[in-house]
Amino acid sequence: MDQHSVQVIVETLKEEGVDLAVTLPEEPTFALTEAMREDPFFQAVTVAGEGNGLAFCAGAALGGRRVVFVTGIAGLLVGTWALSQMGMVYGAPILILASYRGDFGDHSGIPGSQLLMFKQVAEPLLGALRVPYRIVNQKATLKRMIQEGSFACQDYSHPIVLLLSGEVLW
Amino acid sequence: MKRFDCLKLLASLVDEHMFAVTSLSTNAPFWFNVRPQGPNFFALNMGLCLPFALGLTVAFPKRKIIAIDSDGSLMNDSSSLITVADVNPANLVAFVMDNGSYAFMSSTFTTRRTDLAKMAQGAGIANASTVETLEEFSAAAKQAMESAGPTLIVAKVERDPGRVSADRSRTSGRPMREWFMDAVRRHPDYQERR
Repeated sequence: MDQHSVQVIVETLKEEGVDLAVTLPEEPTFALTEAMREDPFFQAVTVAGEGNGLAFCAGAALGGRRVVFVTGIAGLLVGTWALSQMGMVYGAPILILASYRGDFGDHSGIPGSQLLMFKQVAEPLLGALRVPYRIVNQKATLKRMIQEGSFACQDYSHPIVLLLSGEVLW
Repeated sequence: MKRFDCLKLLASLVDEHMFAVTSLSTNAPFWFNVRPQGPNFFALNMGLCLPFALGLTVAFPKRKIIAIDSDGSLMNDSSSLITVADVNPANLVAFVMDNGSYAFMSSTFTTRRTDLAKMAQGAGIANASTVETLEEFSAAAKQAMESAGPTLIVAKVERDPGRVSADRSRTSGRPMREWFMDAVRRHPDYQERR
């Protein structure tokens, strides 16, 4: 992720009042999570597992904090149990930014068999969990997509996923 | 030591504005019986109680947040202990009601060879201990309420005889969530933030 995308995301999250940033670090979004960790506007929390990260986000969000969880497809897979509970059962408004590992354009060098698996499971997984999502792959629409995702997750009172890909991520 | 006696004693230490979060199974109906009013979030499923309570600590940093977890639930995602240690919230008091089995199924051992308090200490939660009598529980709980945390207390309790029921409209799912959200919106700290 280049500095332009990082800057747009950070500024838009601030405008949306999102001041709690939670992550289990992963390479594609590292620049973003580092920027939020170094910015005193954000309370940045690194979790030891995606499941407890999503439950943590839910407790904070239902308590009134605006929260973003930054992860990848592998993280969503690991966090499926918590995501199903905090989404379908409890309706916690969590904005999730997920690197779309395995989408076309992922030249990160991890094995193609892994990329294909991510590509095959990512969107069906979110569909099965009834988690609304959008693919965000153009810088020109990045700001608006974050604004709309932030609004939607509060308005739906439900987790929302923005899958970062294309020129936004790679 | 009986779980219900512990929770009844704990309820006497919790003021009207403290948040309490429980795991599934017996903790939820027992806690509802002893503290039906106030900001309670009941019956979080396996592995989710402690981290959910941790999330509340950053939403309400001026209040004690009480997690009432259980042995099997904590074991399901013990990495949450590391997250708790990293966030290091002064306002978290976590109880692990440890009956040594899953729910009330006596032959399904959980912590036979595992010391959860030592696991918590190893994760970085310095104030972690195990209590085995009601007197010890009372002393540890009172100290935790008056001290800066995070604190984790493993309470060795007897196995309960069977499933305990409570009003599900108050202790599970979306109806419970709406009760909780109503308590959040009326909470003085939340009002102050608005």
